[in-house]
Amino acid sequence: MAETVSVVRAGRTETYVVGEERADGSLVLLPQPRAEPAATRPAATLAPAVGASVLEVDGLTVAYGPKVAVADVSLRIQPGEIFGLLGPNGAGKTSTLSAIEGLLKPRAGAVRVAGFDIRRQPTLAKTRMGVQLQATSFQPDLTISQVLRLYAGLYGVRLGAAELHSRLAEVGLEAEAGKPFSQLSGGQQQRLSLQIAVVHSPALLLLDEPTSGLDPQSRRQLWSRIEQLRSAGGSILLTTHSMEEAQAVCDRVAIIDHGQLLTSETPAELIVKHRDDPRVLAVAHGEVTLEDVFIGLTGSEIRD
Amino acid sequence: MPSVGLVLTSLFRADFAAFRKHRRSLVVSLLLPIFLLVSTAGDQAVHSFDGAGYIIGLAISYGLLAMAIVGYALSTSRDRERGVFQRLRVTPAPTWAIMTSRLAMQVLANLILALIVVIVGAQLHNLSLSLGQYLLVLLVSVLAGAVFLAIAQALVGLIRSTDTLQAVARVLLAVLIILGTFGQVGALGAAWVDVSRWSPVGVVMTMFAGVLDLGAWGGRDTGAVGAAVGYVLICAAVGVRWFRWEAG
Repeated sequence: MAETVSVVRAGRTETYVVGEERADGSLVLLPQPRAEPAATRPAATLAPAVGASVLEVDGLTVAYGPKVAVADVSLRIQPGEIFGLLGPNGAGKTSTLSAIEGLLKPRAGAVRVAGFDIRRQPTLAKTRMGVQLQATSFQPDLTISQVLRLYAGLYGVRLGAAELHSRLAEVGLEAEAGKPFSQLSGGQQQRLSLQIAVVHSPALLLLDEPTSGLDPQSRRQLWSRIEQLRSAGGSILLTTHSMEEAQAVCDRVAIIDHGQLLTSETPAELIVKHRDDPRVLAVAHGEVTLEDVFIGLTGSEIRD
Repeated sequence: MPSVGLVLTSLFRADFAAFRKHRRSLVVSLLLPIFLLVSTAGDQAVHSFDGAGYIIGLAISYGLLAMAIVGYALSTSRDRERGVFQRLRVTPAPTWAIMTSRLAMQVLANLILALIVVIVGAQLHNLSLSLGQYLLVLLVSVLAGAVFLAIAQALVGLIRSTDTLQAVARVLLAVLIILGTFGQVGALGAAWVDVSRWSPVGVVMTMFAGVLDLGAWGGRDTGAVGAAVGYVLICAAVGVRWFRWEAG
């Protein structure tokens, strides 16, 4: 079994797996994989049966005419797990999420959310997931309290005035209740979007680049909220371009490129597995990071 | 699982809030019809337009047409471009419920507009209407509104870009208004009289004129109802068949 060390940083204990020894005698410390998150957490309201995957994607293929955007992708997400889908621009991340959300009809494959097929039982499947789209836009004529009440109703949750106020207060938006969405700052918009996505306590939360465009404070706040949701038993599938965030937050990550899933491991395992890969070593500066592995596997060329 | 009742109530409440906020567009849509009613209040003008019923029918048609093509089509296209529909579609709400709620608000706006125009028109043109005729006017307003909404839906279905839609909607609005106003009185030439009469504006005007003068109801009025139903079916089929929820 791997040796571990605990480090107390800012009053918080973090555990690392001891890796190999460097030439100068120091040790490489890798973030410890999160162990069995579901077993110790309360189940989300709409959680699947114990032991079942929250999300099952089998052989998913999405095509736009002759162009295949996602080719034969399969993945599983367990209850209480944060799963990061990483890939360069145009790799197929958003297409994969869109197919899971039921926005796209896949050419082949199946998507099941908490056991319900998104094509055959869309209402049951959609009731069990919360979604934050990459470019969120709510009805511009509505105030944010009207928007929150609308989306709660669409998920079968009746919100009275007091409940509405408390939900907005949870994300620090009670003073903005009468404003339209467009008048909120980027951080406030993200907080509201996330609050709407979890208004029905879904078993699975899908987040498409949730921290893009956010300042560090808003980003930190968002991650803390995501951690809270996970603590309540929810599972999260997210896409991000921030490898640091993926390494710090995700239990497992998958790298997708040109529509194909290249690898899927815990961040630590991914680093250990690929740290001797010449493509990774060619781009690493010192200790191999998840970003080095990502660039090593997907190439350095800029994607549009 | 959310009940259909709660889903519809939530959508209606949200769309009604948006409708209330945009009541200015209803007022703007009323400007042209009211101007038409006021400017034709003299006997001579009414005579050239074949009676007060036609004038009121024409005025309601303009209002409904503007609300459908400029109001409904453009707001639907803009919401599609903003991603509002995509956001709604990832919820368990069925797509028919999303559209039904939107259309219901449009029908409500149509009824309010028609009622205001017919009340003002009846006053200005000294027309005495029974309660039954008012109800018939509202009924015809629903059908007339459906004709223009179906045309608007076909536009949104066929044209993805809001900018292009805006340009096409302006031209179409102008063409239909000119055809409806001048075609039936022969100002565009004899060949255009029949085209105008069976154009969307023409059939709607005929229906309104028919219910405002029930004693003179004839085959042409019944034909207009049939033509209106035909426009609704064809344009709605086109609008639904080619409608895309996303702009890309």
